[in-house]
Amino acid sequence: MAVARGAPAYPTIGGSYANTAPHYRRGLRRMGLYGTVTLFASLVLTAFLMPFAYMLVTSFKDRDQIVASATGPILPVDPLTVEVGGRQVPVYRVPIDGEVRELALVRPGRRESVFVDPEDPAGAEVVWEGAWRTLKPVYVWAPRTGNFAAVWNGIAFPRLLFNTAFIAFTGMVGTLVSCVMVAYAFARFPLPFKGAMFMVLIATIILPKQVLLVPTYAFFDAIGWTGTWLPLIVPHFFANAFNVFLLRQYFMQLPRELDEAAMIDGAGPLRVLTSVIVPQSYPVLVAVGLFHIVFAWNDYFEPLLYTLGRPDLQPLSVGIQQYNFIYSQQPHLIQATALLGMVVPVALFFFTQRFFMRGIVITGVEK
Amino acid sequence: MSARTALGRGKPSPLLREQRVWGWVFLSPWVIGFLAFTILPILASLVFSFTDFRLTEPESVSFVGLDNYRKLFVDPLVKVSLGVTLRFALLALPIGIVLPVALAALLDSKWLVGKPFFRTLFYMPYVVPVVSAIFIWQGVLNAQSGWLNRLLRLVGVPGPNWLDDVNWIYPALVIIGLWGIGNAFLITLASMQAVPTAFYEAARVDGASAWARFRHITLPMISPVIFYNLVLAVIGLMRYFEVPFILSNGTGRPGDSTMFFNIHFYKTSFVFFDMGYGSALAWLLFVITMVFTGLLFYSARYWVFYAAGEVR
Amino acid sequence: MTAALAVLAGAALAQPVTITWFVGLGAGAQPEQQAAQDAIVERFNAEHDDIRLEIVYVTNEVSVTTLSTLIATGEAPDIVGPVGGAGSAAFAGNFLDLTPLIESTGYDLSQFPEAAVENQRTDEGLIGIPFASFPAFLYYRPALFDEAGLEYPPAEIGAPYVLDGQEVPWDIDTLTEVAKRLTVDANGYDATEPEFDPTQTVQWGFVNQWAGAGAARQNVTLFGPGLLVDEAGNAQMPDNWREGWRWYYDAIWTHHFMPSADEDGSDLLAAGNPFESGNVAMAQSHLWYTCCLSGTEWDAAALPAYDGEVTARLHADTFRIMRQTDNPEEAFEVLTYLTGPASMDLLAVYGGMPTRPGDQAAFFAALDEKYSQGVNWDVARAHVAFADVPSHETPMPNHNRANDRLDQFKSLLDSQPGLDVDAEIDRLIADLQVLFDEAR
Repeated sequence: MAVARGAPAYPTIGGSYANTAPHYRRGLRRMGLYGTVTLFASLVLTAFLMPFAYMLVTSFKDRDQIVASATGPILPVDPLTVEVGGRQVPVYRVPIDGEVRELALVRPGRRESVFVDPEDPAGAEVVWEGAWRTLKPVYVWAPRTGNFAAVWNGIAFPRLLFNTAFIAFTGMVGTLVSCVMVAYAFARFPLPFKGAMFMVLIATIILPKQVLLVPTYAFFDAIGWTGTWLPLIVPHFFANAFNVFLLRQYFMQLPRELDEAAMIDGAGPLRVLTSVIVPQSYPVLVAVGLFHIVFAWNDYFEPLLYTLGRPDLQPLSVGIQQYNFIYSQQPHLIQATALLGMVVPVALFFFTQRFFMRGIVITGVEK
Repeated sequence: MSARTALGRGKPSPLLREQRVWGWVFLSPWVIGFLAFTILPILASLVFSFTDFRLTEPESVSFVGLDNYRKLFVDPLVKVSLGVTLRFALLALPIGIVLPVALAALLDSKWLVGKPFFRTLFYMPYVVPVVSAIFIWQGVLNAQSGWLNRLLRLVGVPGPNWLDDVNWIYPALVIIGLWGIGNAFLITLASMQAVPTAFYEAARVDGASAWARFRHITLPMISPVIFYNLVLAVIGLMRYFEVPFILSNGTGRPGDSTMFFNIHFYKTSFVFFDMGYGSALAWLLFVITMVFTGLLFYSARYWVFYAAGEVR
Repeated sequence: MTAALAVLAGAALAQPVTITWFVGLGAGAQPEQQAAQDAIVERFNAEHDDIRLEIVYVTNEVSVTTLSTLIATGEAPDIVGPVGGAGSAAFAGNFLDLTPLIESTGYDLSQFPEAAVENQRTDEGLIGIPFASFPAFLYYRPALFDEAGLEYPPAEIGAPYVLDGQEVPWDIDTLTEVAKRLTVDANGYDATEPEFDPTQTVQWGFVNQWAGAGAARQNVTLFGPGLLVDEAGNAQMPDNWREGWRWYYDAIWTHHFMPSADEDGSDLLAAGNPFESGNVAMAQSHLWYTCCLSGTEWDAAALPAYDGEVTARLHADTFRIMRQTDNPEEAFEVLTYLTGPASMDLLAVYGGMPTRPGDQAAFFAALDEKYSQGVNWDVARAHVAFADVPSHETPMPNHNRANDRLDQFKSLLDSQPGLDVDAEIDRLIADLQVLFDEAR
């Protein structure tokens, strides 16, 4: 490739294009990679969120629309109706005499049905032969936006939201502080019988909650904590095996060089924790915090048990169950409540994303 | 570690002792909590297993020795439920370990545009409360009117009866479980952030491909968290309860295929009120899980890499 | 000194006794119902200085677990209710025999029909005062009958049905034929026609509404009463019930006029609430269904006969005192208040017919306000005389486990085509025998 002497290294009009090819190729390749990966992720996401779309759509319907959408349109619509003889009558698209007309179904029948013209309800009846169930109704867009207001008022949503947030956030603070301390002990200190103690820690996760339900409730009852939030918050200030296990694993990923550097500088164990370990751990700390919040947000049975008879103390997870009464379940209201309840944790997750971006973590080598 | 080796064997050095004291200080919240909140209920449930404690007749409880444990060997549902858990594990465990890693890798890729949005949307289903999720999945997986089968029908594939067919109920449960992958991928992501970028740069300079970098740097470095996911998945399998219980109303249908061990325990204790035998079931669950967990921990030395090294 | 002690003692006695009322074993925990019950609690507390009534609501799915946990830890409530036969059987042995309290307070039981009082008597004694009666009858949707060109089901028990212009008895066979004609697929073919496609059913002819978990025996009471235990305490399946289960299975998988488990759970049938969805023509259910049935497009009719006899399940809900109560007299006072002065308000909340004959007219008048289409309450009420004796809710030996095994049986029938029903029944009896033997 000929390079004109003195020509600039970047492409110019009229100059040599000799140097442009690698730039273009790399640029195009870059865009292709961005595009492919993003597209792939979008496809996976779409499949993944399909049930969420069902949830969203259901929250804007009422019971009749949910039933209708089992075989009909999935969006919240109502069949168009007109008043004929004092009652509301649905309108269908009827193929009759070679064209498709919109007619109101007055008397459905197995082999033939009677329609009238919706513009002229009192006028002549049209008899149509065929199965009316094969006809498509005319639909009107009708989302039930009132569901959210109904839920907001129906279960005293603001109060329940406050209760949930209080329980979740205080528990989160407690669990973060205590679990970081305990995990630090397991990860960095030469304790006698450490392996055995760690297995005991793991062992406490194994027994399901239901196994310990009765003695735990009896214990809290004996010390007078039933009817309060204390059983739901205080135990988290004493570390929880899931989080300790996770944090210990994470801390053991961190090389000791920085610890030792700080210790040589005269830092005590507490200083090492706060200025060396913790700054390297923001992602996992945020993960643990979120984990606790979501857990507390949706924990249902123990909050119910300990706030029995105190509806003013109940969290959202108990409130939402009111729409789940076995003889009149209201799935649209359940979904509306769930959506409203999810806003805070999801928003929290979104705004803490910066802790998961590369570069936020000081891994020492690139400080 | 250096304190002891440097000064040889014999009395622990002052430095080591000081380290231990600090260790206890930091460990104390758990120790206190364990003694205050955890140990008593655990011991109580152990005691229950040696009695005929009935929930609705707490006053007439009496000691029955090992009767409940003997019953474990003749109870047909014990074999059934352990078999159910094992068969489900064969499908669910590999998927539950591999997919969070794959998803975290995808959502960490530098070629992905709009990472905060993608990550939030993949995380979001994890936040859906169980009562709402059950309705969603019963709706989506219904053989006639569910969206999944309607979509399959659109492309000409006849969808199976996900919830009532013994061959498809486990895939259905796995699909439902995958929806809650948010937490697992999040902590894997967090773990990936801790891998020093210098390693990747060095590897790139050496000419390693993206896959080689992933296999030889990322995977070993995040193996502690993969280990965490694996242990929790095994424990979670034995504790698996809410979703199958609500879907099958505790009957174990279709057939016996959703009679998971924890459901058997729950029905024994809270439907049949037989807390004595129920506690024995719970401790059997404990022993089995501890064995598997112990094996996992033993195997860890072969494949889990701790950058910090073991602390002696 | 003694005066001071007397004052102190008086002050101590003046402390109101707290009585806890646990709602959730049956109806009552829904938001709309809570407000009305809270109001009644307030009224009671305003009228009584010596008793303080507190109410606790727990949703159905966890009410058994919660109540059993409370009992196990010594925190049992004083009163539970409203609770019916099924809920009571689950907690058999935990209720207080009211006979001594009735005698000591001179409570007049003669205000109730004697059969209703006897219904509340079990091995533990008289464990309840009659409160609400819920006979079963046939709910149907006239519009669907019009569309099919069929006559409505008979408005009187025992009256004949007119099918294709001919009078025929209103029995199970007629019901089967009518239900098949009312089962339609998306192309408009009904279940009597060869072109009918059962995978595309959009309307079903008949359903036993909410005869599911814990209530398996409700599905065969059309075929007469029965007991799964014989006098010797052994497991049995009476012949009429065996035939009932065969009919039930055929109804789902051969004739397709009853929905299968999957169809019942689909949105098309409102995820387990088939009659409410509007896509079922007839449903057998109890009067308590009026708590939760909405709309004006339904009416009541007579249940069909089997072998010349009509059998209508009867549910009787009431409030019960837990035997662990510390304050039986005060609890009894609350009980008589709930089943007495507060009963009309509460019955309206739960959709229950008063057992006191004199109160019934007012009850139905209130229902007529809710259902302005004018429901045939006379036929609904008339089914009380055809109650199944012995009741389908009779506790069995080892009741909770036996009932659970029954649930599994019914669940199997609902979800698996191609079964041999007789073989499954035999398997059920064998398993029940083992359970009954355990409990001896």
